[in-house]
Amino acid sequence: MSLEYRIAAFVVLSLAVMFADSRFDYLDRVRFALGFLTAPIFWVADTPARVSYWIDDVFVSHSDLIAENQSLREELLFARRELQLLAGLASENQRLRALQEASASVEGHILTAEIINISSDPGSRRVLINRGAQHGVETGQALLDAYGLMGQVVEVLPFTSWVMLITDSRHGTPVQVNRSGERAIARGSRGEVPELELEYVPDTSDIVVGDLLVSSGLGQRFPKDYPVAEVTSVVHDPGQPFAIIKARPLAQMDRTRHVMLLELPVKEGEVAPQNGTVPDWIEVTQAQEPVVDAQGDATLAIEADAAALAQQPADAADTTDAPADPAADPASATPGDIPVEDMPLPSELADIVPETPAGQD
Amino acid sequence: MEQKTNATWVVYLTFVVAFLLAIVPFPEWALNYRPQWVAMVLIYWAMALPYRVGIGFAWVTGLVVDILDGSLLGLNALALAVIAYITLSLHQRLRMFSSLQQSGVVLAMTGLYLMMTHWMKIAANQAVTSDLHFLLGALFSAFLWPWLFVLLRQMRRSFSVR
Repeated sequence: MSLEYRIAAFVVLSLAVMFADSRFDYLDRVRFALGFLTAPIFWVADTPARVSYWIDDVFVSHSDLIAENQSLREELLFARRELQLLAGLASENQRLRALQEASASVEGHILTAEIINISSDPGSRRVLINRGAQHGVETGQALLDAYGLMGQVVEVLPFTSWVMLITDSRHGTPVQVNRSGERAIARGSRGEVPELELEYVPDTSDIVVGDLLVSSGLGQRFPKDYPVAEVTSVVHDPGQPFAIIKARPLAQMDRTRHVMLLELPVKEGEVAPQNGTVPDWIEVTQAQEPVVDAQGDATLAIEADAAALAQQPADAADTTDAPADPAADPASATPGDIPVEDMPLPSELADIVPETPAGQD
Repeated sequence: MEQKTNATWVVYLTFVVAFLLAIVPFPEWALNYRPQWVAMVLIYWAMALPYRVGIGFAWVTGLVVDILDGSLLGLNALALAVIAYITLSLHQRLRMFSSLQQSGVVLAMTGLYLMMTHWMKIAANQAVTSDLHFLLGALFSAFLWPWLFVLLRQMRRSFSVR
């Protein structure tokens, strides 16, 4: 008999803990404390990789080292030359920006990190890096490698942090086509292949295969103009309200171990109190995201609603009390780089999607 | 009920090893085939030492798994507590089963474990996979169970864990 009571008690306790963890942040401290406990496990699990790197470093012939040194020197020389050119461009850019009174692009300190584990959950694409609260990591920091944007920190533990990759289906990255300047949201695909899908891009937009997508910086979380992906397929289906565009991330998601962590831009704290527009703007994002989410269940009515929203930015702005500035354009202003799990479903949208059938997908 | 404890560190050690095996990086295509080590070790100890490894033990183990997975706190805890409950209520029958029958039970229980965590992830908006490939993990768990069972029984006997 006591067994039944105990399991009932623990089920209730689990449900309470889950509810508290998903809705409030009381349990963040518990999570953090338990992180101390799990750090050694991650450390041990990473040992084979570390040992193999160490062996690669130690058991290498003298001539190989000399050759590597040689090629590194040459690379450095090239990089220095490029840097000289860049310095000139940067100062020119700065002068032009000063002329236009535009804000400077996001810059920040960089912390190098190593990927020490990947999520064992097949449904999510996340990695664990070997930097945590002890190294000053904060939630929301962007992770880059030498080729492109990788993701952002979603959970900070004492010595490690979880990073959600941009290919996670719950992650949206605000991007911009480098050639035409067209803005879009790149969401991680739901399928097996780690790729990105551009959402709510009108059929008439100027995006072709091979276009480079860079981060637009509109979410104020990722650095502006950092390479994100390359467009691999563009399909114009007359039966679909939007073009179906897929892109391959440029970052070496599953090959690289060495990554860079970008310090959060100081701007974020400064912008908020400046004027009253920012809280409204965040509301726009909250109203938009669930639509984005519901779209996965592919009911045409919802898509039509979303189409109406996307084609009439002014209307969308009115319904959500946002200022009708260009940033209110829902297709571009949604800072999709905020994980969807953080966003509550607004009641009005819950009315629009009353019976999203769970079994449809 | 109250028996003198002996060598319980063996129990903890096997769980730590199970945690390690649960988070060792797999290539992406193999993620679905990962055996559910923690659930299997829990089933064994709940069957062999029901007075030592109970629902509370399973719950705390689940919390550690939650942290290791970075998932919602309490998700794996609930699923593992349910697994422990089922094992505890069946443990006398389970001990009599042949290893093939035990594998069948393990298949059902790890399948239930995966299904429960999947449901909770969907309810908490943490998962979006709609295919059921992840249930292959239960198949591999059942396949590995006879060997794990012999290994753990050998450890329990040689260290006379109580």
